[in-house]
Amino acid sequence: MESSNTTEVKDLGSLLLDVGIMLLSSGASCSRIRLTITRIASAFNYHCYTTIGPKSVSLTLNKEDDNSLFNGMRSINQQGVNLKLISGISRLSWDVVIKNLSIQQIKTELNRLSALPHYPRLIILFLVSLSGASFCYLFGGNAIEMLITFGATFIGLFVRQEAVKKNFNQYFCVYFGALAASLFAGAFIKAGLPIDLEHAFATCVLFLIPGVPLINSFTDLIDGNIQNGMVRGINGLMIAFSIALGLVTAMHIYNFK
Amino acid sequence: MNEIILFEKFFWFGFAALGFGILFNAPPRTLFAIWLGGAIGGILKIILLYYNKDAIVLASFTGAIAVGILSIPIAHYRHVPPMIFAIPSVIPLIPGVFAYRTTLGFIKLTGAIGADYNTILAETMNNGLKTLFILMSLAVGVAIPMHVMRKESAKNIRLIKK
Repeated sequence: MESSNTTEVKDLGSLLLDVGIMLLSSGASCSRIRLTITRIASAFNYHCYTTIGPKSVSLTLNKEDDNSLFNGMRSINQQGVNLKLISGISRLSWDVVIKNLSIQQIKTELNRLSALPHYPRLIILFLVSLSGASFCYLFGGNAIEMLITFGATFIGLFVRQEAVKKNFNQYFCVYFGALAASLFAGAFIKAGLPIDLEHAFATCVLFLIPGVPLINSFTDLIDGNIQNGMVRGINGLMIAFSIALGLVTAMHIYNFK
Repeated sequence: MNEIILFEKFFWFGFAALGFGILFNAPPRTLFAIWLGGAIGGILKIILLYYNKDAIVLASFTGAIAVGILSIPIAHYRHVPPMIFAIPSVIPLIPGVFAYRTTLGFIKLTGAIGADYNTILAETMNNGLKTLFILMSLAVGVAIPMHVMRKESAKNIRLIKK
């Protein structure tokens, strides 16, 4: 009896750490991670105490009536926003509560969720470029500027994806993306088209904006997770700085005033 | 206000949100909701700006609150956490042009001090503060409905009492 309890708590503990790390790396806020972990743990009648660091999750599990106890910590390896994973895990945690899934079933489901494919690359490139063109229109651009922004976003995002594949530092990836996009848009201004292209140049890098880090930063700050909020905010500022650096490089190359 | 232009903007706000939904790998069943949410939040901001040109922060805040409130019924209807819908939908409200002008201003400020230095300083400060406050109001606006309801999960929230 004693040994089966020990294996259960070990399995559950490592499972919960997996859940926490997957949520943290796909861009969930701290309160959501804590909520999900606690929800699954309480379905198995365990008390769960978590600490969520900027790049790590650690937790303690115990049961009141016996002394099975688990302590563990795990750190993150790769980051990339993945809303499909967050919503999948949220659904899974409700299934655990309602349908009483076993630990093995949860493991299988987690593996399935983490193997779910992203959208096809061409669709991502096309729709993100379309969203760049919409930004250009909304900030007051005309049809020609929209076309230029579409092309610039397409090339910028392509360069960034390639840089991510080659395992560059994440801020370098953003820098390369911003540089490629603004070089493309700037080329049309340099070529001397007889219209004002400020909007195209300003909106061609918007696909890189750190929306998720910045929004999560404030969500964490409001919830009182000050440390994580500050870390995410500074991460967002670093990304914004990389974008600005890419723009500045292009402007100096083309010698814009 | 010209209704055709308003409708066009509605349309394009939606696509701006949709692109980010795809980039962040949102589940396919939420994509239409993201398109609609982005469009509604955006058009609300445009309408408010039409009545008061200077209230860009307040207009963005209203748009974000609308997205935040919409995120709760959509969380029920599509079985996703509210943030899955809310984050891509508020991204069209992000002040891209103000951020761009702020960066440009900072670059100019590193140059020599000329006759127009004070003007550039004032403009940069103005653009920078607008960027900062709009970003804060977006994050707070999205989070407000959840905090007002004082529930930890959207599953327990009923907008209409049964």
